[in-house]
Amino acid sequence: MTDHVVGPVEDFPPGTHRLVQLGRIEVGIFNVAGVFHALPNICPHQFGPLCAGTVNGTTACSAETNWTFAWVRQGEIVTCPWHGIEFDIATGQSLSSPRLRVRTYPVRVVDGQVTVTI
Amino acid sequence: MSTPSTIERTDRATLADMVVVDADVHVNDTPGALAPYCEEPWRLSLEALDGASYPYLQVPGFAPNMRLDPPIPGQHANRSVSTAAEMRAELSELQIDVGILFPDHMLLFAAIPNPEYATALAQAYNRWLLEEWLTREPGLYGVVLACPQNPDFAAREIERYANEERVVGVYLPTAGVNPLWGDRRYDPIMAAAEAANLPVCLHSVTLVSPAFPCQLDQFENHFARQVLSHAFAMMANLTSIVHTGVPARFPELRIVFTEAGIAWVPYMMWRMDKYYNEYRRLVPFLEKRPSDYITERMWFATQPIEEPDDLKDLVVTIDLLGGPERILFASDWPHHDFDHPRAIMKLPMPAAAKRRIMGENALELFGIPAPAGKL
Ligand code: FES
Repeated sequence: MTDHVVGPVEDFPPGTHRLVQLGRIEVGIFNVAGVFHALPNICPHQFGPLCAGTVNGTTACSAETNWTFAWVRQGEIVTCPWHGIEFDIATGQSLSSPRLRVRTYPVRVVDGQVTVTI
Repeated sequence: MSTPSTIERTDRATLADMVVVDADVHVNDTPGALAPYCEEPWRLSLEALDGASYPYLQVPGFAPNMRLDPPIPGQHANRSVSTAAEMRAELSELQIDVGILFPDHMLLFAAIPNPEYATALAQAYNRWLLEEWLTREPGLYGVVLACPQNPDFAAREIERYANEERVVGVYLPTAGVNPLWGDRRYDPIMAAAEAANLPVCLHSVTLVSPAFPCQLDQFENHFARQVLSHAFAMMANLTSIVHTGVPARFPELRIVFTEAGIAWVPYMMWRMDKYYNEYRRLVPFLEKRPSDYITERMWFATQPIEEPDDLKDLVVTIDLLGGPERILFASDWPHHDFDHPRAIMKLPMPAAAKRRIMGENALELFGIPAPAGKL
């Protein structure tokens, strides 16, 4: 386990995400409303560049929404740009299959620097 | 039946070690591109349609996550490839040596109601394919479009292109075809393909139409239509082809099924064999069981490959339908549900079986020489 300083916190404003290269691993750093997350840039489906996908929300439709479509979790979901599989940025778990999940790396801010442990 | 390929061990085969032939990639046959190859008066219409915008209500539903510059070779927001040079570069980036070209728009070909227009379009498409795609880059091969609306013309087209080195098969437009392939009116097409030693390749697409089995109008979203469209089209057309005895009446004809995955095949083999037992007297031209024709002269392209939780189940499925010899790798490049070659390479099967699926079967079937530096 090594700490990698990836840049000052100002370079990762809320609602954005960026790819960084840490040794041989590409990592997506996500700032979701002030909370940092890091995921490997490789989709467990067919190994597409997961973190190059769009970050936004998703749809819900249940008894809670009175069985009408609602837009929920804005900013918390990344969609793989290859085949559209959605992942929860905070947990790395896909929304569609218990088998499809990516690991998450711990991220924290140390002295104003975003630091990832891999 | 081939040797079972279900083994625990995965050989360390890499794409670089084998010929990769992609049995299904798509060229962007826009109206403007085809216009110069089309006879009047139909050319006028194609020219007028050039640059027509994509009707946004045809986007398959709610798509807020779409990236307009997706990180795929070529970055095609519209998931289409417009030139042979682009296609060559993108297939190479995907480590694919040889691509078999199918159309984009002409996937809907069989649903064109006017037989004269259909004939003119088929002629234009075939001219354009040969001129702009098959003579320009290494490793691009094509299938000549057979116009089901005009079988005699289609048979002459097959004869016309039969000796073109880069024409390796006959494309049977399958979405909305009415009656289904197998109907006796299409016998001239089957006869011409057989005589030219060109395999016929069925390719469908998601289409809502009153033609069986495309009545998908009652489904409210694209999930359901996509699930059923290609698979039902292949099941219906396979049954039709068998029920009129096409494989018996055209004993050298080879038949390829594309873009429906493979797991539907064992089910259809068992089901047809069961009713062949009961109803053989209705189809006495079949000299053997339907499954025997399938395991001898039919091939199935992988994409969109099924993705069971345990990939060994897919290897078992391949053995159930006759073994790796029956399977052709296909990516469906550049469409939205394309399969990367890795989707097949990661299956737990021996390297020899992967080599067959990834390329050797297709080289033999289509009569394509192995690309230089491979094999
Ligand atoms: S590779 Fe990510 S969805 Fe297929």
